[in-house]
Amino acid sequence: MGRFIVRRILWLFLVLFVVLLITFVLMHLVPGGPWDREKALAPKVVEALNKRYGLDLPLWRQFVNYVWGVLHGDLGISYSYSDRTVTSILLHGLPKTATLGILAFVFAQAIGIPFGVAAALKQNSAIDYTSVLFSTIFASIPGFVLGILLMVIFSVVLHWLPTSGWGSPQQIIMPVICLAALPAAQSSRITRASTLEVMHQDYVRTARSKGILESSVRIRHIFRNSLIPVVTVAGPVLADLITGSFIIENLFAIPGVGRIFVQGIFSRDYTLIMGGVLFYAFTIALLNLVVDILYAAIDPRIRYE
Amino acid sequence: MAIAIKSTKAFERPHHSLWGDAIVRLRRNYFAMIGLGFIVLLAIAAICAPLITHYGFADQHLTEILQGPSWKHWMGTDQLGRDTFARLLYGARTSLAVGIFTQFIVICIGLPVGASAGYMGGRVDNYIMRFVDIMYAFPDILLIILLRSVLGGSIYMLFLAIGLVGWVNIARLVRGQIMSLKSRDYISAAKAMGGMGRYITWRHLLPNSLGPIIVSVTFNVPRAIFTEAALSYIGIGVKPPTPSWGAMIQDGFNLIFSKPYMLLFPAIALALLMLAFTFLGDGLRDALDPKLRR
Amino acid sequence: MTPLLQVRNIKTYFHTQDGVVKAVDGVSYDVERGETIALVGESGCGKTVSALSILRLVAEPAGKIMSGEILFDKVDLLKLSDEEMRKMRGAKISIIFQEPLTSLNPVLTIGRQISEGLEFHKNMSVPEGMQEATRLLKLVGIPHPERRVYDYPHQFSGGMRQRAMIAIAIACQPQLIIADEPTTVVDVTIQAQLLELIKNITKEHNTSLILITHNLGIVARYAKRVFVMYAGNIVEYGSAMDVYHSPCHPYTAGLLASVPRLDEPRKTRLQPIEGQPPDLIAPPMGCSFQDRCGYCIGECQKETPHLSEVTPNHYAACCVSQKGSRQWQKSS
Repeated sequence: MGRFIVRRILWLFLVLFVVLLITFVLMHLVPGGPWDREKALAPKVVEALNKRYGLDLPLWRQFVNYVWGVLHGDLGISYSYSDRTVTSILLHGLPKTATLGILAFVFAQAIGIPFGVAAALKQNSAIDYTSVLFSTIFASIPGFVLGILLMVIFSVVLHWLPTSGWGSPQQIIMPVICLAALPAAQSSRITRASTLEVMHQDYVRTARSKGILESSVRIRHIFRNSLIPVVTVAGPVLADLITGSFIIENLFAIPGVGRIFVQGIFSRDYTLIMGGVLFYAFTIALLNLVVDILYAAIDPRIRYE
Repeated sequence: MAIAIKSTKAFERPHHSLWGDAIVRLRRNYFAMIGLGFIVLLAIAAICAPLITHYGFADQHLTEILQGPSWKHWMGTDQLGRDTFARLLYGARTSLAVGIFTQFIVICIGLPVGASAGYMGGRVDNYIMRFVDIMYAFPDILLIILLRSVLGGSIYMLFLAIGLVGWVNIARLVRGQIMSLKSRDYISAAKAMGGMGRYITWRHLLPNSLGPIIVSVTFNVPRAIFTEAALSYIGIGVKPPTPSWGAMIQDGFNLIFSKPYMLLFPAIALALLMLAFTFLGDGLRDALDPKLRR
Repeated sequence: MTPLLQVRNIKTYFHTQDGVVKAVDGVSYDVERGETIALVGESGCGKTVSALSILRLVAEPAGKIMSGEILFDKVDLLKLSDEEMRKMRGAKISIIFQEPLTSLNPVLTIGRQISEGLEFHKNMSVPEGMQEATRLLKLVGIPHPERRVYDYPHQFSGGMRQRAMIAIAIACQPQLIIADEPTTVVDVTIQAQLLELIKNITKEHNTSLILITHNLGIVARYAKRVFVMYAGNIVEYGSAMDVYHSPCHPYTAGLLASVPRLDEPRKTRLQPIEGQPPDLIAPPMGCSFQDRCGYCIGECQKETPHLSEVTPNHYAACCVSQKGSRQWQKSS
């Protein structure tokens, strides 16, 4: 198990390196530079700025310097906010993004899994049909469209909730629901499908033939097996959550990492872009690693490979 | 001592091919049929847009800005006096085009890559899968945004950007299918009868992998449509004056409190289109699942 | 002495999209205390379904026991509440399933799966249950049971898994064990070992055993009485000796003839029974074996033959047999 984790961590670093490389290359292929403003700056000024920030060095050198910096925790200085380091900017937005993500995830599982289970156990009942219908709807409507619809209803028409900002429960509730809708629907569908499949397995019949309580059959035999796929897809679900959070942040004007990142792209703020990509890629990769470890912990068949 | 041979009359059950059976099952699924109907209807409306409305999507009627729905302008006008209904219809062209062309690129890249990895296995497979893993680590929206900035603003580049990021899933799927089918008994039978590599791939492996691929593509289309809308909303999707539902949402957003319907029309249209594809995709998946055959 | 188990005219049907499948259509048999009977027939004839009916494990809502009685120790199992039936399962009657590969929960240890029944029926704690599980694993012949008890099913071989299934079945010392094709998925050498194991266990505790199989070789050795099933009905029954030496139904004769024998010359062709079993949704009128029977006469197509005694304690459901002629028997 230990070797498994070590190998995965090494792989993570390799992946991040390649991600940075690709991002770096792409960024420098984009026409224009960080100094483009409405009114063009004098060439001498541009030259001086380039020199100061090391942009006159050959590209490979810039990249090496950057990677070296990253390994020491230094992500450079933002070009747009020239008095702040990228690290500090990202850290500023991190708590909000993280809270949004975690709340949405917990909410999604707390709703999705029980509904999925109930739908499977009482197949073809009212709960089953409503659960399937809602999960299909929320799985297809993207969070940002849902956000707009909710905004119109709750802010414009009913005036119950504000449309932007972050901090009070009223501000938090809509973004969290929008972000949680898709994962909740996905969890519900997967749980339902998997529980249905497990319910008809031979070993469930064996369990019943022993005469144990139906609740024991459900918990120890059905759920312990049917929840495995939910964990397996947690990786992509979390990845969707993260990319989704970035759009929701833009919609609800939440000052998290997502908004900062988009602004960085528009202003060609190289270091901020690299920092943002690194942040997202790292988070996704780390969460995938955690999911893989969790998966090995619950499914003994994987452990012994 | 022998039992005299009697009639071997087995009882009759009707024989269906996999595809025929799938179509029958799909037809029975109401939601899938509604989804399909909606998509077809929208496609026809989009193509025949000039016949349905005499307004162009870029025609500005500056004396009639920001009007609510009326007989003259069925869904009202926007801040430049453009007819919302017309923009919605022409915007549908954009969305559907994005959906189709991106998937075309996705299949053109993903299918051969996945098939090669799956069939050849070994080191080829290893390298390809490592590359796929790296692409997976990239949050796709971010990569698309970056590619978009690099490749430029035309709509074809948008297709390319979205396609270049989306082929990964199909490749993985195809590879998985081919690998699991490769070891099945009937492939050994085909080999035993002398079939060679490419023949085996074409006649046996691909047709059987087709089901999940079709389903995956059907689910990818709404994702591509959504991506275009999201990018247009942020401002790096299609360039005006090409109409896009995402851009309409961005325009409407500024007026959310005064004229909410401007937001609602494109948002609901987007939601319905994506719902339609999801219903269809679900229906296709159930119809093509061999385990549910009777 | 009343038999331990009396299955009386059980009808178990499955309601499917294509129609009602009459899997078990009026089956009756008895098992005495300590007796081993065999239920034989080809796949699909309803033997497993009849066994599942005893334990009321038939897959609902499609499957349902329509009518009949199942008397266990004079109590009709079909009239018990769910709670009472649960107390029977595992404790008084248990079943060894056919597929050890899929019949064990992949995420629970073998020991826990054995001790579950003990925890419920005998109120043991988990550690006590695991200890008893270790003892049972030893009994069924698994080496290093104290370690193996913490293993998972995928770490066991097929034969070992089947032994674990046996351990699960005998854990609470039931009075009746149903063994559904216990040896089909293992190879011949293991088959012999498993059957000897089952035989020893049943002998030691005077447990009744219903051996369900299509393997006629093992029937002869282990069962006292044999019930032959075809298309949802019992077509012949009697002592194993009688049925083997003088089969009174063409189907039984066909089954016996199709077993390859080592003492016949190698060039002898295998003799299958031609044709397929009938459609259980719309069975033909008259005898269900008519299409494949070489001795069919006019009456066979008109009336469904009922079981009647053809020789003392030997019953068969065949019009031809009841008339006295049995051409299929070897003259010896």
